[in-house]
Amino acid sequence: MSDSPIIAQGLVRHFGSEANRVKAVDGVDLEVKAGEIFGFLGPNGAGKSTTVRMLTTLLSLTGGSAKVAGYDVTTQADQVRRSIGVALQDAAIDPLMTGRELLKLQAVMYGLPKAQHLKRGEELLERVGLTGAADRRVGTYSGGMRRRLDLALSLIHQPTVLFLDEPTTGLDPMSRLSLWEEVRRLNTEGTTVLLTTQYLEEADQLADRIAIIDHGKIVCEGVPRELKAAVGAPTLLISVPDVSAAEARHILANFGDLRPTPEGSLGVGLVSGAEAVPNVIRALDDAGIRVQHLELNEPSLDDVFAEATGYRLEGAAGNAPEATTAPARGRKRGKAGR
Amino acid sequence: MTAVLTPFIAPAQTGGLTVGLRQTGAFTKRSLLGRLRQPASLAPSFVFPLFFAALSSSSFSRTTALANFPADSFLAFSVAGAILQGVLFGSTAAASDLAVDIEQGFWERMIASPVSRTSIVLGRLASSFVIGMVQSAVFLTVFRLFGVHVKSGLLGVIGIVGGGGLIGLAISGLLSSFAIRSGSSEAVQGVFPLTFILLFLSSAFFPREYMSGWYRSVADINPMSHIVEGLRSFIVEPASAGAFARAWGIPLVIAAASISLALLALQKRLRAS
Repeated sequence: MSDSPIIAQGLVRHFGSEANRVKAVDGVDLEVKAGEIFGFLGPNGAGKSTTVRMLTTLLSLTGGSAKVAGYDVTTQADQVRRSIGVALQDAAIDPLMTGRELLKLQAVMYGLPKAQHLKRGEELLERVGLTGAADRRVGTYSGGMRRRLDLALSLIHQPTVLFLDEPTTGLDPMSRLSLWEEVRRLNTEGTTVLLTTQYLEEADQLADRIAIIDHGKIVCEGVPRELKAAVGAPTLLISVPDVSAAEARHILANFGDLRPTPEGSLGVGLVSGAEAVPNVIRALDDAGIRVQHLELNEPSLDDVFAEATGYRLEGAAGNAPEATTAPARGRKRGKAGR
Repeated sequence: MTAVLTPFIAPAQTGGLTVGLRQTGAFTKRSLLGRLRQPASLAPSFVFPLFFAALSSSSFSRTTALANFPADSFLAFSVAGAILQGVLFGSTAAASDLAVDIEQGFWERMIASPVSRTSIVLGRLASSFVIGMVQSAVFLTVFRLFGVHVKSGLLGVIGIVGGGGLIGLAISGLLSSFAIRSGSSEAVQGVFPLTFILLFLSSAFFPREYMSGWYRSVADINPMSHIVEGLRSFIVEPASAGAFARAWGIPLVIAAASISLALLALQKRLRAS
């Protein structure tokens, strides 16, 4: 039997009435190994947060089972709560309280003795760089400060497993880097981290392994490096006048698989690698097609995402699949081992 | 971000009465701090009742000449109604804060921890009890400055202040059950006028002796009439067991029922998730 701190099998969660049922999570299998940072990647509404809410005992399971820190989330919910730290997407922090007061309250919520939580509270404030602001009301904090406080709150009882639900959404780049650094550090100290994100770079930078979730199902899972390698060929992105797009697409198809691209551009996975670029340009030129823009991209997690889902995550601000351009090639479930 | 965390073992058990009481105390403190730090939300619970009392005592002062009017002055008569009105305002704010916690996600922070669920609700209700007592004491002080004496002395002051706290507990329990069910502060605010209608259909602002018809019938069976008359009797006559029975006993019974309703709503909400 596996001793992984997070194991989920066939997780299902439905919302709504019988007649109007929405399957938010539809059979998710997940295993996060001890000491890992596991990235859960997907657009808004894909099922990331619902999965996290089930694993953190905030939502009951419609189907399937899950164990977190060795405890069943349904039958041993209290033990699960005591073992995990949770920083939710919409970091709800009482704006009328000070950072120090919130840490004290959080410690009381976890039943920590006073002497212990006072010391730990001070350490956490120092660690997240909020000692100077500890006695200010949270309502005066910046977004980054709130997230750092939220992280400190989730660590008050020294959890072995930490759930971070979109921890850097809405943060400026500096705050994001600062939070990444802290997550890495926690991980090196032995904390297993499951983080959800819609930022590819975040998953790429932080996660030892990732799972891509779309429409409530995991469509791809593995080590980022291996997943990118599995996509294989680099992507050539070109922009051509609209009138030439159909012909250009036809020409590009001779050099590899057409790939989902942002609006206004065409993409092809070059089967013979970067060496094929001059030939592509020549073929387009021979057809009288003027190339307005050209770029060659090594495989990225966005390519992995596109390969798995048929649309791209990057640039899809609304995050609804419909909002992205997708000359989709059909879905396929990829899996790369560790 | 440089500090190294001191390793420690989190306690294996977070349940138990002592921990539960400590958690309730912590939530009460949070709730009280939240009230104090939003003085604008406290102001109406003092301003409106005092305004009504001033207005009615200047307008209806001659009614005290009527036979069997239950007080020496209309101002003395108004104290109990003002306290009840003020506590109603304050209790709504506490229930509304609970709904705001649900709306804004602080509720989930609490539920994601192993904290005693009951303490989350009881902490809020306890703060209403404290606020109700403080409000009553403030009203008594203000009315004292304008010459109102509590004829039942210290025992009467205790009766009024304690009664104010119990009314706060009872009303906030009722509104909290609605807050937990609906999870909407707007819905709680929407229910508030109903409690106010109940207040106006009681003897809070005019003696029952001078009412007639359906208005009198409603006032007769309205528990608020009996509560306010219990509080009023501490002002206008010596303390009695009857006054305590009405000013403390009725709110206690309502509080027991409303807290049960709030805890049932809590169980239902937890099950629903």
